[in-house]
Amino acid sequence: MKPIEIIDIDVSYGAKKILEAITFHADTGEILGIIGPNGSGKTTLLKAMSRVVARDSGEIRLDNRDLDTLGYRELARQVAVVPQDISIGFDYAVRDVVMMGRHPYIGRLASETLRDVEICDRAMHLANVAHLAGMSIHSISGGERQRVLIARALAQEPKILLLDEATSNLDVSHQVDILNIIKELAGKITVVSVFHDLNLAAYYCDRLLLLKDRRVYATGTPEEVLTYENIREIFQMEALVRPHPLTGKPYILPVYAHQSRVGTNRRVHVVCGGGTGSDILHLLYAASFTVTCGVLNVLDTDYGTAMRLGLSCIAEPPFHGITPGSLSDLRKCLDSADAIIVTAMPIGRGNLDNLQVLLDYPKKPILLYSGNSNSRMEDYTGGEADAVLTELESRGALRIEGGEELLAGLPQGYSDQR
Amino acid sequence: MRRTAPITILTLTCLLLISMACAVALGPTGISLESLFSSENTWKIVWDIRLPRVIAAALVGCALAVAGTAMQGLFRNPMADPYIIGTSSGGALGATIAIVLFAGTGRPVLAFIGAMAATFIVYFIARSGSKIPVETLLLSGVALSTLLSALLSFLMYTAGRSLHQIMFWLMGGFWNVSWNDVFVALPILLGCVGIYLFARDVNILSLSEEDATHLGVNVERLKQILLALSAFVAGIAVAVAGSIGFVGLITPHVMRLIVGPDHRFLFPAAALAGAILLIWSDTLTRTFTNDMPVGIITACFGAPFFIYLLRSRMKT
Repeated sequence: MKPIEIIDIDVSYGAKKILEAITFHADTGEILGIIGPNGSGKTTLLKAMSRVVARDSGEIRLDNRDLDTLGYRELARQVAVVPQDISIGFDYAVRDVVMMGRHPYIGRLASETLRDVEICDRAMHLANVAHLAGMSIHSISGGERQRVLIARALAQEPKILLLDEATSNLDVSHQVDILNIIKELAGKITVVSVFHDLNLAAYYCDRLLLLKDRRVYATGTPEEVLTYENIREIFQMEALVRPHPLTGKPYILPVYAHQSRVGTNRRVHVVCGGGTGSDILHLLYAASFTVTCGVLNVLDTDYGTAMRLGLSCIAEPPFHGITPGSLSDLRKCLDSADAIIVTAMPIGRGNLDNLQVLLDYPKKPILLYSGNSNSRMEDYTGGEADAVLTELESRGALRIEGGEELLAGLPQGYSDQR
Repeated sequence: MRRTAPITILTLTCLLLISMACAVALGPTGISLESLFSSENTWKIVWDIRLPRVIAAALVGCALAVAGTAMQGLFRNPMADPYIIGTSSGGALGATIAIVLFAGTGRPVLAFIGAMAATFIVYFIARSGSKIPVETLLLSGVALSTLLSALLSFLMYTAGRSLHQIMFWLMGGFWNVSWNDVFVALPILLGCVGIYLFARDVNILSLSEEDATHLGVNVERLKQILLALSAFVAGIAVAVAGSIGFVGLITPHVMRLIVGPDHRFLFPAAALAGAILLIWSDTLTRTFTNDMPVGIITACFGAPFFIYLLRSRMKT
């Protein structure tokens, strides 16, 4: 029995279809994130789940009970909603607003009992607003007001908590504060939340539901849903997807390709390996360069990146050195390249040829790229690789740090200077 | 809830009783306590003229203030008043029809029917599907009031000799109020109690309609109930005393400043304050101004006070 199950629902506003054939469920105690571009129907989906918006067809089941069979008060005891931000017309005290969460439990002729007061106190404590209880809802900050709304939702003692971008209007420290509170609540409560910020969604959610054009595009763990391909497809944006250094969850770094046309009609060859080239492959791709790379081992991270981006890459099977065939392919690439980039990759006997062959191209612009951390090449060849680099530098190869400088150092194929 | 709210309500209750006593004692004819028991005439003035008039004023004041509070909560707009949904213009048209066509017989009945009918028409104009958006409700109230006012003007234009009577009625007042009118006005209390039962719902509705739904309030049903009960009490008020302005607008305002926005305290406080306000306005007019229509008094004091409130709101 699932706490909430959405079965093939359609929703429209008038003649306009907003959601089509949506089916998913939430598991007990998990945080399920709903993500998707603007206009994909995220908020409407949440409103259908709280029955604020009527659906055309399909079924929503709460603990196997049809949502439509529940009365207003019964529904409010099962499902609580934390809205994005609300304007509260009259000047209520924080405690009064939280007590409104008890409304579905208090009869028309009754007034709140000691138990209701205790539940509100506990809710305010959990949402960290107990110290604000006596203050006016108008005199507290946006982050505090959002926590008051969480306390109010908790006072409803719901089984399911729905959040509609509940932190979108707040600065990042308040977002994290509030989501930490939500994370602690999950387990006891099932949480379904619309997220605008993919990185927050990736960290806080157990599973994600990705919407595109009114339909479910993907569901699964953040790792399964927040892939490079999905982000490019859904958001039409080049982005790097990397594990967060501390949490290991996917972290999305947009490639800020504001110079998206500088590489038009220009060829660049990248000599890389060991993952040192992945970021700039994305960058060069986003800047419209025609990129080749290699020679790489097919197990190399950079090879995977090149394949994902559809770049042409010279590759060798695992545990092979560079064969004469690959080397001649490399020379063809280097011949036609307008510039050559060498990353701070680990160099051993197996890939030393990649460097040495560059000595045959004294006329080509060569950029030695060391990334933002200014890392040095790891030389496992007993100094031979270093010697090649020194020679290249003496012939005019430039050391470059950082992506923006790299783009600036490359021959420009298109100038969009205004 | 502000801790002072129950004390305020207690104080207002005492003030109401004192006001009623004073209002009975005051008037163009001086009355002393001993003459009350010695002179039959004095007894008649107090029992048959002043007391029903004071009680009617209290009930009408209570009705207007409670309906005003309910409308301000429903529309989430402090500028709303009990007449916003066409009650007064409908009532005025009904009363005028009675005066012009039936020489005044059945005036309260027609006024009440007019007030209720106007509210229902506004409601059905504004309704789309199962919902009544408050903005549409507001606008259809304004539109219908304009139409009814035009019909009213036409009737006044053709009224001839009864024009004076219509004018007096439109400005509102408590002449010739008898015990009969008091009995007619008594259901106001029932309506007010009915509205009070939804005080907590109105509190929640003042957040937003969607949010109120999340908290288990059947918003559309609540709107229907509030509209019907408000039209009912305001319609009776209009039938008894004509359209008296500003009581329903100002009283909720002032009481919200004093007891806070919690309608469980705001409704009773406004009811008491509305009653007190109208008792004193009526006492003032019959004692000092030769029974000028009380609507003039409430407007004279109400409008400047309203402007003062508006200005002080803008400063904060």
